[in-house]
This record gives sequence, structure tokens and C-alpha cells, in this order.
Amino acid sequence: MTPSPIAALIAFAVVLSFLRMTCQAEDTVPHLTVGSQEISLSAGYLISVRLTDQHTTKQSGPAVMPSWAMVLTDPIGWRWLRGQLMLGAEIVYIQFQEPQLTHGVGFTPKIKWLFEGTGRLRPYVEFAGGPFYTDLGGQIPEESARFNFILTAGGGLSWFFTPQLSFNVGYRFHHISNAGTRYPNLGLNASLPFGGFSFYF
Amino acid sequence: MNANPSVDRHRLSTLVCCGLILCATTGCSRWIEMTDPSTEMDERTPHIIARDEQVPLIVDRIRTTRNGSPQNPSVETEQRILNSLADIGLFSRLTPGNESVSVSGEKTVRARLLFDEAVDPHAGAAAWKGIIIGASMYLLTPFIPLEYDYTAHLSLELERWDGQIKRYESHSAGTARYHLFGATPIMVDELKGHVTESCLAALASQIANDTVFFSASSAPLSVSGIRSVSVKPRPIRPSASAAIHISAPTPVEP
Repeated sequence: MTPSPIAALIAFAVVLSFLRMTCQAEDTVPHLTVGSQEISLSAGYLISVRLTDQHTTKQSGPAVMPSWAMVLTDPIGWRWLRGQLMLGAEIVYIQFQEPQLTHGVGFTPKIKWLFEGTGRLRPYVEFAGGPFYTDLGGQIPEESARFNFILTAGGGLSWFFTPQLSFNVGYRFHHISNAGTRYPNLGLNASLPFGGFSFYF
Repeated sequence: MNANPSVDRHRLSTLVCCGLILCATTGCSRWIEMTDPSTEMDERTPHIIARDEQVPLIVDRIRTTRNGSPQNPSVETEQRILNSLADIGLFSRLTPGNESVSVSGEKTVRARLLFDEAVDPHAGAAAWKGIIIGASMYLLTPFIPLEYDYTAHLSLELERWDGQIKRYESHSAGTARYHLFGATPIMVDELKGHVTESCLAALASQIANDTVFFSASSAPLSVSGIRSVSVKPRPIRPSASAAIHISAPTPVEP
């Protein structure tokens, strides 16, 4: 058997299991309470955003973000704003393929507002920030230091297959700079569309 | 005299390890404080009832409200209340209202119960504290406790076979205090369990004090044996005055 039929078979199995899970509609509304935890793995592709004429670097590359979060509140708020607050932490790994192959890794506490949505489909917004080390620093005009900080803000949609498992898609805006500890410090900005899975327990 | 760098390094690593262990242990702690500890259980004196003096208890209705709004009673809570009533030993058997088989001429006690619970997760405080903990890179976790309050209020109405009614009430409250890493859904269940148990124990204690009132020989069965109930429509709020669509039956062609 050649590799392509194997891949097709795996894809078929994945689609079948996906359909099976989505058909079990009644039991798929998540019941998250205070203390419920989320383990998540997301991946995306970083796309450069040059906000000023001084920004010349077109950094890009894949990003992987394993994360953990905990539900801090029962549903609060009213109407469409109603949701739950989550607090967590995330490790961000970015492989810069452009302008040269370099790497970056950061640790960011994050705060997330998970809207109630329709039960199975729950939108969210999140904000994270923390230290970020990258060997791209010092090799580009925008950033002179290797030790930086990363700030992230974005949102997404969680689709619950089961009360414990969700598929997430979303968008984030990334800003990387060194908080003025060294100059130049123009900072790097980027868009990061991503997808991933979350497991709740 | 120069300090030995290796000794300094050793001290520093020991200090860091101690700090991490302290953070890990205290940051995961949680405890429950009962604000209305029930002392009635200990003061309860045993009451004895002869087996032929026991009468069946029919549970007509269990209503549950949470923070004032009506809820569907959970099977677990309902079962727990029934078990608690059965454990008193005052009644020969316990029958839920929907399963009751009326036996003409049998003395029975009918029960109506309201279980009112109030939950206060201190959401606003938790949010602010969460932001501070996150901003400190979780270093403040051991120093900022979070809280979750739970209050239960039980009202039980017992109607004897001759129509006499006795009302009982009990109240209990508790607070779960926890550090961020000690939070689990089990913690909330534990709190609710302790508070509910305390509330049920207080209620059972009150009922046990009325053993004589519910013994079969305490009153004769009413002659008619027909119970009267008042029937009234539920009050309709002005805001809920939306028209209800009534569809006329479609005439069927012969």
C-alpha cells in the first residue's frame, strides 16, 4: 500500500469519528464549573504585520502553543456577554522561517473570557503576556535584544464535540518587544490565525 | 574573607527549592468553613417508636430554587433528602408522590419540601484576584485565597392523616476557601455536601422531636377519608401576557 491511500484511510477514519461525535448532540453541551480545567494545544502560522514605514522585517513561521487554564467563575454577565472567566498559562514556541531560520519561546499567563454562546459553540476572547526569548533579536533592525516580552490579544470559537473535548479556531495579534530595556526597540507585530484542540476536566 | 561561590550557589538553590515547595503546597490548599455549624445533632435525644406505630410517608412535592429562581430538582438531591427522611426511622416506608398508591383507610403523612439554595461564587472578586495572580506570574497564588459561598434553606411541611400540619425549617451555610491551584469542581461538591448534610441533620432532629405527633395512635383517621385540596391558577405576571396561539382542529373531510 502506498502512503497516499494510507493517508486517505486515516482521513476517512477521522471524518467518520468526527461525524459520529457531532451526531451525539444531546450530551455535548459542556458543563464547566469553578475549578474545571482546560489543557489545550494550538498551532498556527505567524504572518508579519508592518505597522510603520520603519518596520521592514517580514517575519513569518509556524507557532505552537500548549496551554493550561482554569475556570474561575460560574457563568456571569447578561445576554450575549454572559460567560466564564478563565485564568491560565501558555508556552509559545515560534519558528521564524523568515527573514532567517531562528526560534523563539515564551511563557505567558493568560486570561480568557469564554462566552456561553449556543452551548456547543462557545466564542472566547483572550489576552496573554509574558517573557519571550528569541535568537532573532539582534539580527533585525526592529529588535536589538534576545530577551523580549510578548503580548497577545485575540479571540476564537470553540466547538464542543463532547463536554470534554473542543475544536478551536481563532485569530491573535502578537506584539514582541523588549519594553525599552535596549534600543532600537521598534517591536515586531504579527497576525496569527490558529487551530487546535482543548480537553476539559 | 571571600565567600565560597559553590556554597552560595548551594544556599540559593536550597532557598529556591524551599520557595517552590512552599508555593506548591500552599498554592494547592483548600478548606471549608461552616458558618452555621449544626449543634443540634449532638443534643438530639433518641426517640423510640414501635414498629406498628409507624405510618408511611408520601412525598407529595420537592421544589428546588437556586438564588430565588425555580430549578428542576436534581435526582441526587432528591434521593438524599428521601434517604435522610427514611433514616429518621419515624416512618414505615417512604413513597414519592408520583408512585403513591392510595390505600383506603391507611394513615399516612404527606410531605411537601422546599429546598432553597443560594450560591455566591464571588465572581467579581475571583476575576480581579485572577488578574492579579496572573499578572504576578502566579507568584502570588499562595497569598491570595479565593472564596465560594453556599447556603441551603430547607422548609418541610408534614401533613398528618387528620389534616394537621407541622412545619419545619433548617438553615445552613458554608464557605470554601481555596488557592488557585487547589480549585476543582469536587471542592464545590464537597461544600454543597457538607452544607446539605448539616441542613438535613438539623431538620431530621426537629422531626424526631415530634415522634409522638406522627405515631399511628396519636390521632384517629378522619371519618370521610377524603382530603380536600385547593385548586388555583398560577399567578400570571403582566409581562408574560403574550398571546397563546390556539389552533382550531382542522375539519376532516368525510
